[in-house]
Amino acid sequence: MKGSRNWSLLLALAAVFALVLFAACGDDDDDDGGGDALNPPELDDGKLTVGSDIAYPPIEYYEEGTQNAVGLDVDIMAALAEELGVEFEFIQVADFAGIVGDLKASRYDVVMSAISVTSEREAEIDLIPYFGPAGTGVLVPAGNPEAIDSVEDLCGLTVGAQVGTVQVDYMTEFNENECADNPIDIKTYPDNPTSVQELTLGRIDAQLSDDPVAAYAALQSNGELIVASTGFDSAPYGIGVRKDSPELKMALEAALAAIIENGTYDSILEKWGQEDLAYSE
Amino acid sequence: MLEPLLLALDFRTDVVRRFLFDDVIVEGAWVTIQVAVLAQIIGISLGLGFALMLVSRSRPLNVIAGFYVWFFRGTPVLLQLLILYIGLPQMVDDQTFTNELTAFRAAIIAFGINEGAYMTEIVRAGILSVESGQMDAAKSLGMRQMQAMRRIVLPQASRVVVPPTGNEFIAMLKNSSIAFTIGLVELTGAARLIYSVNFRYLELLVVAALWYLAFTTVFSILQGEVERRLAFGDRERPTTFISRTIELLSGKRGTEMVK
Repeated sequence: MKGSRNWSLLLALAAVFALVLFAACGDDDDDDGGGDALNPPELDDGKLTVGSDIAYPPIEYYEEGTQNAVGLDVDIMAALAEELGVEFEFIQVADFAGIVGDLKASRYDVVMSAISVTSEREAEIDLIPYFGPAGTGVLVPAGNPEAIDSVEDLCGLTVGAQVGTVQVDYMTEFNENECADNPIDIKTYPDNPTSVQELTLGRIDAQLSDDPVAAYAALQSNGELIVASTGFDSAPYGIGVRKDSPELKMALEAALAAIIENGTYDSILEKWGQEDLAYSE
Repeated sequence: MLEPLLLALDFRTDVVRRFLFDDVIVEGAWVTIQVAVLAQIIGISLGLGFALMLVSRSRPLNVIAGFYVWFFRGTPVLLQLLILYIGLPQMVDDQTFTNELTAFRAAIIAFGINEGAYMTEIVRAGILSVESGQMDAAKSLGMRQMQAMRRIVLPQASRVVVPPTGNEFIAMLKNSSIAFTIGLVELTGAARLIYSVNFRYLELLVVAALWYLAFTTVFSILQGEVERRLAFGDRERPTTFISRTIELLSGKRGTEMVK
């Protein structure tokens, strides 16, 4: 009995060594460049797992009354996965603010969740830009009672956004510059829909999210909410890939180029009414 | 000794030290304490009231208190918080009401009412632990029902009620973290706010954990003290893990006989 346990331990160790050697070989292949870029690396359980905060319509959300993730991101990923010949699955993350850590901890193969490309995020993970820049949408009650049409108009107001989004960073920056004398009272929520509800209830004066998301919320509000003029800096969305999986990154980039080339990309954007926001450098 | 190891493990103790007394964290900790203390006070008051209703001989009062415990112990506190904060304003549809019901107040009210259901059961158990002969004796001395309850039964019940109440308060301190769902930046929310920007997840979570441990440690010492004072008449005064540790360190005996 004891002997066989030692034996299996030895086998396990051998397997680990084999894996390490294999991984090292993989890196070597990489340096050669070229090859078939569309050939994705081996995936665990043969499926590309995508971490996402699936509460950000129309970019990603659960179809009403179902557990099916739908949205712009889901359609783009479906097209990429088809190019690569792999299955994929969107998985709800615990906390959007923790999505970079989830990816680094290999909880998912990639993360795709309307993630704006920022230098802070790029220091941690690789981001493949695929959409936008979309701009920030300022959601306000119908009639825009606070007459918001510039960043300065937000100073002194109570403004909500989802924790971990670039919009929180923007407001923090405004409070150090434009709004230094009359800071924004920044209210943060773990998810976007809760902060939109806070605006509907009138507890906050405005709510910030990415432009397509704000526009969608306005559309769903039966005229209670509108998007005030924007003009905020913004960044394109990126698909997050671990820095230690360059093969996967290359494969996804090649697939993206392919779906842009064959028109699939444009038809997806058109389906979601976002044809003006095709990614451009 | 430990630091090189921690560095190899990608855990930055300097980040922990930098944020331990960060303004956002300290403010969050203060919010946590306020919510927990005020909600626990509401919970104890409601628990006392509803427990008296439960043990009273009035049928309608029994039913009301029974319904209260049934509902608030039977649904998740997060759900109750959302019903109060997001749901109720939709129904009431009055802007003053909505504005006055801030996340801070909603958390205190929701946690307080929820806690009251548990405290009702705890106080009821305390009352039942006092022999019925005590009530009869008090009445034979001419005390009225409520008088006997207040002077004879409740003081004796308190000895049974205090330890689980301390447990409840410690749970309250920690469970108040779910108030971040409605945007209240308490201790855990503060840590999440910071790690959403600097990506040092574990370090910030450790910072929050250290604060919670500090709170619960101080509170455990206080609770131990209260229990010792309430143990009048007992042959051996109860000790807590912490009071024993302190006594051990100061060279005193582990248990102490009442003079």
